[in-house]
Amino acid sequence: MSNIAGKAYAMNLVTPVKWFWIPINKIIFWSLGTALLRSKLRGLLTLSMIHYARWVILRADDFPRLHPSQPKETLEYGYMLFFSNFNGTWEQYVDSFSAAIPSGLNSLWYRNVGWPTAVPEQPFHRYVMHNQASTDYYYNAYPMAASNDVKSAKRVKDALRGFIAKTGRASADEFLSQYNLLLKDLQYDLSQMDASPIVSLATAAIAARRRTDAPPTGRRVDSAVVPARPEAEERRQREQVNG
Amino acid sequence: MGNQSGKAYGLTVLCPLRSDAHEKQSFSAAVRARLHALPLDEDSPMARVPNTYLCRLFVLDDVPYQGEPAQSEHLKSKYLVFVCELHGQLETYLQGMWKNAADMINSIWEFCVGFKDDVRDADTFTRYIKKCQVTTTFYFNGSTDEPLAEQLKALYLKQEFSKFVIANQGKSAAEVQRSFAEFVKATEPSNLAGPSWRPGASRLDVA
Repeated sequence: MSNIAGKAYAMNLVTPVKWFWIPINKIIFWSLGTALLRSKLRGLLTLSMIHYARWVILRADDFPRLHPSQPKETLEYGYMLFFSNFNGTWEQYVDSFSAAIPSGLNSLWYRNVGWPTAVPEQPFHRYVMHNQASTDYYYNAYPMAASNDVKSAKRVKDALRGFIAKTGRASADEFLSQYNLLLKDLQYDLSQMDASPIVSLATAAIAARRRTDAPPTGRRVDSAVVPARPEAEERRQREQVNG
Repeated sequence: MGNQSGKAYGLTVLCPLRSDAHEKQSFSAAVRARLHALPLDEDSPMARVPNTYLCRLFVLDDVPYQGEPAQSEHLKSKYLVFVCELHGQLETYLQGMWKNAADMINSIWEFCVGFKDDVRDADTFTRYIKKCQVTTTFYFNGSTDEPLAEQLKALYLKQEFSKFVIANQGKSAAEVQRSFAEFVKATEPSNLAGPSWRPGASRLDVA
């Protein structure tokens, strides 16, 4: 199990909602895409810790049924599925949500069964924890990058390409003058990335488990590809257990 | 459409697992064991699938109960849930997924209803996944929707240019210009096939 891939955390929430509220929930989500309620999500953009997130509302009939032999779902409630890819720890994310967009959260989870409201934090934490499903496998194309890195990298790339086109025939002094302007424009976007630091006990536990769960053949473990040598694997595991 | 935000596509798939009532091992346990054994990061089979930003797989055993006075109810099937953030058109993506990760797909989806009978190539896999797809109600894109190769090239350039800026502080105009020409030659900023980061790279020494 791993909810973590580099700097990204995968959250899955499954929460029930009474069937007769579902049309209202769908109208709320539709409104969030319009000027009417868009301000409710402004905090999400300001937080800037999410790569991508989605909400999916399902009734019993929406669960895929592929064959007559597969029993039909007979749920009374509808279910809201929430999937998020965010940066930071579980606590940072949940607390940020609660602090930055409490009214937005109350709209997004409007009338979900057992929804405690976004503040105070403790009941909200309990609700999230109770309804969270663990991820069994998580892949991230850029584990070393936060969402802000991806966005700033695009600005750096676009600016660099423009700068190269503009300064191809410039004198040295003209070049330096344009270069300094480029750095001024990109001063908030330049930084170096690296492997994700271990920032929580959960991350440390996952890193340790990755090491101890690794099969003896060819799977990447910590900072090396482990060769197919059982004795080396045994020795390595002993070393890790002994710290 | 709920599944898309610009050119970013949010794929949500729930594939029912076959009944395991008469089996020696629970299928959900078997799928989980296979998922946990998949290589990670740059070695992941999903790193070979073009335009995968992020993806996850898990088994949904049941729906959570909220306690009194809520109603207690249960799913009739367990579901393999596949959630993927990708760039571009779904059909193109699924074709690429089959082409580059068929072994993983056959292993992970083996216990899903109808998979062994219905899926044998990229077209049948695409049809199968679309039958199991559910529509996103609301999709939030907090990142960009560029092709993955552009995103990875951008991250590579951000990294290299940040190093360049530090290394060239205080140098003369001629020196900076000369160094920059070498930087451009080495990094090829407009060439996506040139130097870049590898998909899934978790450390600088493997990027």
